[in-house]
Amino acid sequence: MSEQLSVETGPTNSVSRFLRDVPPADYLRAAIVLALAVFALVTPGFLSVPSMRSLLSAMSFVGCVAVGMTFITLSGNIMSFSLGASVAASTVVFVASLQFGTWVAFALTLAFGAALNGLQGWIIGYFRANPIIVSMAALSLIIGIMSTITGGRGLYITTADAAIFKENLGPVPGPLIALICCAAAGQAILSFTRVGRTILLSGSNQAALLASGTEPWKFTSWAYAIAGVFTSVSAVLIASRYGSGDLQHGAGFEYGAISAVLVGGTLIHGGSGSVIRTVLGALLIAILQAVLVLRGFSTEIQQLALGLVVLLVIILQWKGRR
Amino acid sequence: MMRSFWSHRTFRPFILLAITVAIFGLLGGGRVLTLSTAYGVLQHFATLGPVALALGLTIMVRNFDLSVAGVVGLAGCVAIVVGSIDPVLGIAAALAIGAAFGLVQGAVIVRLNLSSIGVTLGGLLTATGLAYVVTGNQEIAFAQLEMPSLMDDPLVGPASLRFLVAAGLFALAAVVVSWTRAGRDLLASGSDSKAALVAGVRVGAVVISVFVIAGICSSLGGALLSYSLAAASPLPLSNTLVPAAAAAIIGGVSLRGGRGHPVGIAGGVLVLSTLQSGLTALGVDPFAQDIVTGGVLLTVGVADGLDLKRRVSSLGRRFSVSRAA
Repeated sequence: MSEQLSVETGPTNSVSRFLRDVPPADYLRAAIVLALAVFALVTPGFLSVPSMRSLLSAMSFVGCVAVGMTFITLSGNIMSFSLGASVAASTVVFVASLQFGTWVAFALTLAFGAALNGLQGWIIGYFRANPIIVSMAALSLIIGIMSTITGGRGLYITTADAAIFKENLGPVPGPLIALICCAAAGQAILSFTRVGRTILLSGSNQAALLASGTEPWKFTSWAYAIAGVFTSVSAVLIASRYGSGDLQHGAGFEYGAISAVLVGGTLIHGGSGSVIRTVLGALLIAILQAVLVLRGFSTEIQQLALGLVVLLVIILQWKGRR
Repeated sequence: MMRSFWSHRTFRPFILLAITVAIFGLLGGGRVLTLSTAYGVLQHFATLGPVALALGLTIMVRNFDLSVAGVVGLAGCVAIVVGSIDPVLGIAAALAIGAAFGLVQGAVIVRLNLSSIGVTLGGLLTATGLAYVVTGNQEIAFAQLEMPSLMDDPLVGPASLRFLVAAGLFALAAVVVSWTRAGRDLLASGSDSKAALVAGVRVGAVVISVFVIAGICSSLGGALLSYSLAAASPLPLSNTLVPAAAAAIIGGVSLRGGRGHPVGIAGGVLVLSTLQSGLTALGVDPFAQDIVTGGVLLTVGVADGLDLKRRVSSLGRRFSVSRAA
């Protein structure tokens, strides 16, 4: 026994074992990232400060939603179609509640996002209803109800109340700081709390979790409520930056978010992945799109590139799962 | 075999439809139940029907084709761009694109044993991206100016050519599902793919064919829609997906596969189109349509939940215990 151990601990062996244990898809993934990085660095204008700043700001809005989406995907519920609508509704709630003070509005918006999505999670877990159908229904309901309340008009920020959410920290764009905070908080919840571990387990082996007597609605409610909080952070940033609460904000964010989650390497059926991976996925997509624009491709090509990258990443999960 | 048709699931949408029509009759009377409302219902059916059928068929084989929403938009754009040379060529090009999307996605899903939602999410984004590239992110007008009236003028009663094509697709699908071996194989693959495989069904081939058919259905719907509008532009992603899913689910297609019938899906589409046209005729706020669609979809989604019976019975038990105490 001890002989075997001493043989296995040699430095060359551990390196070769590491190389053997890494799935082939990860090599391909690393090669793609490396190629993209080199391509980006040799693209003229990529490293200029304005280009970097606009790249990082734009990425951060969707990035916060993607951090939230990670929890839904990891919990084994694939994706939510209502996170974009949740952003839209939250921008309206934020602007409408600014009259009570900036931080009260911030807290109310986060609570609203948690309740709105937590309720969907509860329905999905309590009745074990299909997450795709419930979130699609929620998308229709949220847009319908909020449009009726607002009459389809946007609300505008008239005071300087929300100025703090527009601030930048020197050359670092404010939204990026928010994204970094969200990512750190999200990863901490996932790695160090009971809720986070239960969410991971529910994605990797739901049968085991149910057999252990855990009620499914408990972890689905948590996963969706956490997603709602991060989604609302994005809503606050957007509402402050554009000075309005409008149901047009956040349209299609759910697709950008799930793309970042998948490109980061989180499995679509959950159980394996992390918030950090999602942020890297968002960064990768942003760099790809920026490089395409700087290289003189039209903006339409960005959309196509995103689709092809997601398709490629999904196909790579074939090897990743074995 | 006829069981899939004579199931309460197939008739559920028609009961809902009867209730909807009755409510509109009570609320609006002769103001709502007119020939022009009927025309509106059929036109809406022609738009939503093919996509809902495409999505419903893939759910029946226990998959979920998100890309139908993207293929509708892409096919519409391709049809307009190619169709300015020759309208028939435009439709042929659109159908080819739709079939190709279905074939590639179906083959990837079956051969690599991947989740259909993941693959078709990629397909949805790719199709939408292609639509942006094809149109240059602009609305493209159609040079064939007689096309909209050819598509939309009533031919038989309130039915236009576009509606007749959609209804024809449903009739064809219904015949295949009810009376042919292919239909039997389709339902068998959806309800228990392993048992079907043992029984000699080529499950992989069935699933791939269903994806090809789904691509053809949604691209035909998209092409005819853009001919009727005489314009095409890339669509926002969720606009077609949610009503299509709602129609299929209301129509009795089970998300667990193997259950459902094209006639039921047609009923589901009719429910949604009647709601839309009826609410418009009543002069209700257009957003009410979203609320009603969402509410119905949520109700049916919960009703199909795996744990609904357990939850309801435990609620009943708790209630009777508290009464006894």
